[in-house]
Amino acid sequence: MALADARAICQDLATRPADLAREAAALTALCRWTGRYAPMVARDSADGLMADISGVPHLFGGEAALREDLQSRLERAGLTVSSAIAGTRGAAHALARHGGGIVPDGRLAEGIGHLPISALRLDHDTVSGLARMGLSRIADLIPLPRAPLARRFGQSLVMRLDRALGQYAEPVAAAANAPHFGVRMTLPEPIGLQSDVMAALERLLARLCDKLAQHQMGARRVRLELHRVDQGAAQVEIGLARPMNDAARIVALFVKGVDKIEAGFGIDALRLTAPVIEPLAPEQISAHHRVQPEHALADLLSSLGNRIGFDRVLRLLPAESLIPERSHKIAPAAYSAAEPMPAQTGPQRPITLFSPEAVTGPSGNPPARFRWRRMHFTTLRATGPERITPEWWFDDPAWRDGLRDYWRVETEQGPRLWLFSTPQTAQGSPNWYVQGEFA
Amino acid sequence: MTPYAELCVTSNFTFLQGASHPEELVTRADELGLAAIAITDRNSVAGVVRAFSALKELARLRAEGGGDVSPPLPKLIAGARLVLTDSVVEWLALPRDITAWSRLMRLLSLGKRRAPKGECHLTRVDLQDWGNGIILIALPPDPLETDAACRADLLGMARKFPGQCFLGAAPRYDGRDQTRLDQLAMTAQATNLPMVAVGDVLMHRAARRPLADVLTCLRLSCTIDNIGANRLANGERRLKSGDEMARLFHRHPAALRRTLEIPDACAFCLDDLRYQYPDEALNGETAQARLERLTHEGLRWRYPAGPPPKIIHRVEKELTLIREVEFAPYFLTVHDIVQFARSQGILCQGRGSAANSVVCYLLGVTEVPPETITLIFERFISKERGEPPDIDVDFEHERREEVIQWIYERYGRDRAGLTATVIHFRSRAAIREIGKVMGLSQDVVARLSGQIWGWSSAAPDADRMRDAGLHPDDPRVILATKLIGEIIGFPRHLSQHVGGFVITHGRLDELCPIENAAMDNRTIIEWDKDDINALGLLKVDILALGMLTCIRKAFALLADHRGQNLTLANTPAEDSRVYDMLCRADAIGVFQVESRAQLNFLPRMRPRAFYDLVCEVAIVRPGPIQGGMVHPFINRRMGREPVEDLGPAMMEVLGRTYGVPLFQEQAMQIAVVAAGFTPAEADRLRRSLATFKRMGTIGSFRDRFVGGMLSRGYGADFAARCFAQIEGFGSYGFPESHAASFARLVYISAWLKCHHQAVFTCALLNSQPMGFYAPAQLVRDARDRGVEVRAISVNHSDWDCTLEPRADGSLALRLGFRQIKGLREEDAGWIVAARGNGYPDVESLWRRAGVKPDTLERLAEADAFATLNLTRRDALWAAKALKAPVPMPLFGADGEGGDEPQIALPQMTLGQEVVEDYVSLRLSLRAHPMELLRPHLPESIPHNRLGQMQGRATITGLVITRQRPGSASGVIFLTLEDESGTANVIVWKKTYAAFRKAVIAGRLIRVTGQIKRDGPTTHLIAERVEDTSHLLATLSPPADAPDDRSRASINFKANANHPREQAKKLFPSRDFH
Repeated sequence: MALADARAICQDLATRPADLAREAAALTALCRWTGRYAPMVARDSADGLMADISGVPHLFGGEAALREDLQSRLERAGLTVSSAIAGTRGAAHALARHGGGIVPDGRLAEGIGHLPISALRLDHDTVSGLARMGLSRIADLIPLPRAPLARRFGQSLVMRLDRALGQYAEPVAAAANAPHFGVRMTLPEPIGLQSDVMAALERLLARLCDKLAQHQMGARRVRLELHRVDQGAAQVEIGLARPMNDAARIVALFVKGVDKIEAGFGIDALRLTAPVIEPLAPEQISAHHRVQPEHALADLLSSLGNRIGFDRVLRLLPAESLIPERSHKIAPAAYSAAEPMPAQTGPQRPITLFSPEAVTGPSGNPPARFRWRRMHFTTLRATGPERITPEWWFDDPAWRDGLRDYWRVETEQGPRLWLFSTPQTAQGSPNWYVQGEFA
Repeated sequence: MTPYAELCVTSNFTFLQGASHPEELVTRADELGLAAIAITDRNSVAGVVRAFSALKELARLRAEGGGDVSPPLPKLIAGARLVLTDSVVEWLALPRDITAWSRLMRLLSLGKRRAPKGECHLTRVDLQDWGNGIILIALPPDPLETDAACRADLLGMARKFPGQCFLGAAPRYDGRDQTRLDQLAMTAQATNLPMVAVGDVLMHRAARRPLADVLTCLRLSCTIDNIGANRLANGERRLKSGDEMARLFHRHPAALRRTLEIPDACAFCLDDLRYQYPDEALNGETAQARLERLTHEGLRWRYPAGPPPKIIHRVEKELTLIREVEFAPYFLTVHDIVQFARSQGILCQGRGSAANSVVCYLLGVTEVPPETITLIFERFISKERGEPPDIDVDFEHERREEVIQWIYERYGRDRAGLTATVIHFRSRAAIREIGKVMGLSQDVVARLSGQIWGWSSAAPDADRMRDAGLHPDDPRVILATKLIGEIIGFPRHLSQHVGGFVITHGRLDELCPIENAAMDNRTIIEWDKDDINALGLLKVDILALGMLTCIRKAFALLADHRGQNLTLANTPAEDSRVYDMLCRADAIGVFQVESRAQLNFLPRMRPRAFYDLVCEVAIVRPGPIQGGMVHPFINRRMGREPVEDLGPAMMEVLGRTYGVPLFQEQAMQIAVVAAGFTPAEADRLRRSLATFKRMGTIGSFRDRFVGGMLSRGYGADFAARCFAQIEGFGSYGFPESHAASFARLVYISAWLKCHHQAVFTCALLNSQPMGFYAPAQLVRDARDRGVEVRAISVNHSDWDCTLEPRADGSLALRLGFRQIKGLREEDAGWIVAARGNGYPDVESLWRRAGVKPDTLERLAEADAFATLNLTRRDALWAAKALKAPVPMPLFGADGEGGDEPQIALPQMTLGQEVVEDYVSLRLSLRAHPMELLRPHLPESIPHNRLGQMQGRATITGLVITRQRPGSASGVIFLTLEDESGTANVIVWKKTYAAFRKAVIAGRLIRVTGQIKRDGPTTHLIAERVEDTSHLLATLSPPADAPDDRSRASINFKANANHPREQAKKLFPSRDFH
């Protein structure tokens, strides 16, 4: 059913977009948890898990008890699940998706025979092709000679069928664990000096960076956890403007944080983790080692960001709009890439732009004399007007007054200002505002 | 006020750019008091005639309003904006005189003919070749933005056409206008091109700015949020008054003055287009002499026993008139076309007002004997009007292309071209396009446009919005609704007219641009039929009519199987059995009278003679229905009410139709006789109805018409009805002669149906798509009337449906391969050619006929192998085994292939067979789906019992047609079909509002309602409509339907097998609007 159809039935339907990444992450977590039942657990298409439970059921009191245990635990956790146990991977997959249950040993054909053919992990064309022959259940296929089937619907149908029936092996292959980027150090004697902590950090960092380099990864955040002897804990976290696995440059950023740590009776354990990582290809090291300018900028952003917060180090990005204040975007520098500003076309724009400030005592159109920021100005030359209308599809509170006529005003006092008025709202004399200053 | 003329105006005929109609621009120019306005669309003159007509209409309004002539109306300059492929400079081309216009048209034709449809490729060289006599205003790129070297282009053109070239300067209102104008003035000095002020207008008022931005989005295919800097910064590209322009150009008064000098230099006006028809003289014989000779030959041929004196007199009168207005060549053209068609065995027949002419009858163009109807030759040609006659000829729809190509060949592509049709934005397209631009999601847009009934031209209302899951108060939605309302009626692109040919003596491409059409080998001109009409150009309509194809095929079948050689002229006339059949409303498949409204009307009309059919054809039309003429006509014909005496003058006009105006010419005559119009005025009223609608100025005509009738003593009610009818007639009315031409086809098709049902159905099926009913209904009707219909068989069928003799001498209808969905005619040809003594198995088809395996599957799905004792599944199983496109040598039956083990596939149920029949053939000879579903619907009664029931009833059936006539104020007529017959359901507006979805989208619906009898026909007035389409899915359970043991199926996949989707595909209805 399309969303629009559903909405028409229920006006106040609450909807959320599917978050595939988080769903996959949840399934991965569930996959780890399922390790309590069997050593080999693998993902089974996008919505299932497959565990090889050979030799396991007796630990839980039999297959039925195992399945019961699994179901009840997951239901208590608030999940709706369907599970099946069968002698082959294909049969378990099929049954789990069509009601669930247990297929007794050696009775695969009866156990899954009633299921539709689509349960065999076949593509849509094959399923509809078989359906047109009147073959819609797995049981319809089992007695048929394989050669004519393979001739018409390809080898994969026969293979899927044989795998489900156990005539063809299909092992469960669990995926390798993802590397974990964290190192720890326990000290025999508590330490309290800042230089000791830094020394320990350097050792930890060397190990962490090695591991990162090994996996061609770089850290975007590095967290240092410190455990005190009195069970207290402290934590220092730094951010990096670009992925990095260079210990020397990272350690410098910790200095300020470590400085603030209350050591108390001493610290006896340290843990260093990289919670946010990004791929980082190994770099060619040249003979005369020079820091590349973009790296230097990233280092600057890192040190600034760690001092004043990464969300306060900003960068201007180009945006396409005829509205002056929306002709650029402002983004956190550490989380955006620099984009080249397009070549300046069209009318000239001021070098500084601020929110409109009303002028007082304007006279004339454009004003010959006016007061702004407690200063008197006399117009020397005015060019314009440049007429800009609001973006009609976008309700911008600042532009509720409607169209603006912009003027470039050169003043006798020196400043070259960007003034505008909203002629359509004027009663008697129009209101004038300054929105920018030219170089 | 400063006088000013706007020389650069882009109308919305520069598609997806201009944001105002030419009519709006001209009207606004008049309001602003401009001295002149030039319509200059991008490489096109498609909009100029609209502006020209609008201007004429404004002049008429002024004349009516008391002859106030100051200030004068703006002068219209027809021009174009030439965008060259090899130069950044664009040129406004304004022809000074008719020869310059011709050159401009040649230039545009040249560019269009060498480019694909809708484009025009011109270069500087072309412009230099053809630019003589045309005022050229250069529009260089903005000098402040680019320093592109355009000076060489400007100098080159100025040197080639001294005194003709100017430099256009358009203000942009971006704060730099003075600098820009100064720079342009400098360029003007340096290149010796005088500077002239232009507005570069895109819209008539600034309020169109949002629409202009939306059009930009459509052009760039982006959404409004991504439009960025491509939007209009302000609404200043609108038409401006002279004072405003004077303010902007206060430092360049000469530029402003020149805008007035240029229109003075442009003496060309579209009225000057002198159109010359081909002279059609042949072998030294003048056209008139040839026409007279052919007419006299026709007299001998049409009247072997000698013509009646009335006819001879009439012929002389017509020939004299034709000689006076010199239209003989036109008649000869049509005669030659018809002659060609006859020589190729293509059936054709004149329609429209041409049948008012005895000469046309004698030339063989029309088939209606002049004795049977009232002839009003003035309706056809009148001396005062000086306007060309209008002869439309219908040809078989399958073979019309031959005629069209013959015309191209005979006159050449530079002398003959099809007229264009302007495709406008209608609701559906408007919602789709605006929805996309405004960022509505795909499914919302689909839902919104899915609710639009056909070609509606209104923006969706709040209820529809809510139904689509949108909040009508959301500002975005409000904006979108407003824009949808605005864009409806905008031209989208030019398409070709159904068959209107413009033929000239000289070069057609000197009259208007010729461009390539989307179809191969077709060229069209840029103007549509209203434009052609406004300019007084002659047009021959080469129309396509499916029924003629059907009749020709039926005649051929009759000749083959019954040895009867019939033609349109010698079909036995006035056969009472044919009329008996029509009186029973037994008319499925019969031309024109098979529609739902006509079927209801037939038993009340009770046609007994040819003229009754003429009335029948004419009355069930929007014009008479809107005019409320139907009931009086029927009541008077049945003698239930007396024919009121309207005085001798009116009775002369209306006597033969019981005092009720049915035909176009009657309405016109009323305007003359009763409302005091002159004949010319009355005709102009009819002809300019299209312009009135666009300009919204019909009111004054109405007052004059009604006033005229009141002052002559007619009732106000009657007057209003007559006028309503004239309005309706403008687009939907039949002239009597036209109705008579159609009535002949009605009679002939009814005769065929009455006497040779099998032949008729066979011909109908072979002429699909045409008519009102789908093959399923046609086949069903034939079977109801005792024709044996045989299933498709690889060993018996041809591509077309065929007739097979039965032992009892009657004919059986064998369905042809053409009924199978997705089968190609070529494959069918191979199967028939290689058939020999028949195919023993599926593989032999593959080997002998060389058809591809997927074609074999199509055949198997259509159950075409049943004749080999193979069930559908067995055949499909066999076909599936053949994978290679061609057989391989070693693996034949007697080669290495060997035998396959036999496999017993499950039997199909009857329900499955029926569904498969519908999937493949759209019809089933086995059973009606309703027959199988009947046990599930105990409350529904079969349709054939409806006639005996009283009070309320419930029925269920497949929707075969849906109609919402524009004349019936929102009432919807449904035709349902079940195994016992069809039932007519009427859904009133209120019921429709409550059950909208079921009514619009249901395929199988259950209706509960009140039975209403109207003479012999029975209707069900719906009170409750339910969509029961999901039941159709139970006929054949889909493959992965959950059964009892796995009812907790959790992987419900919403794929295309959704029951409603399936039903929609399988049981389509034909919807008419």
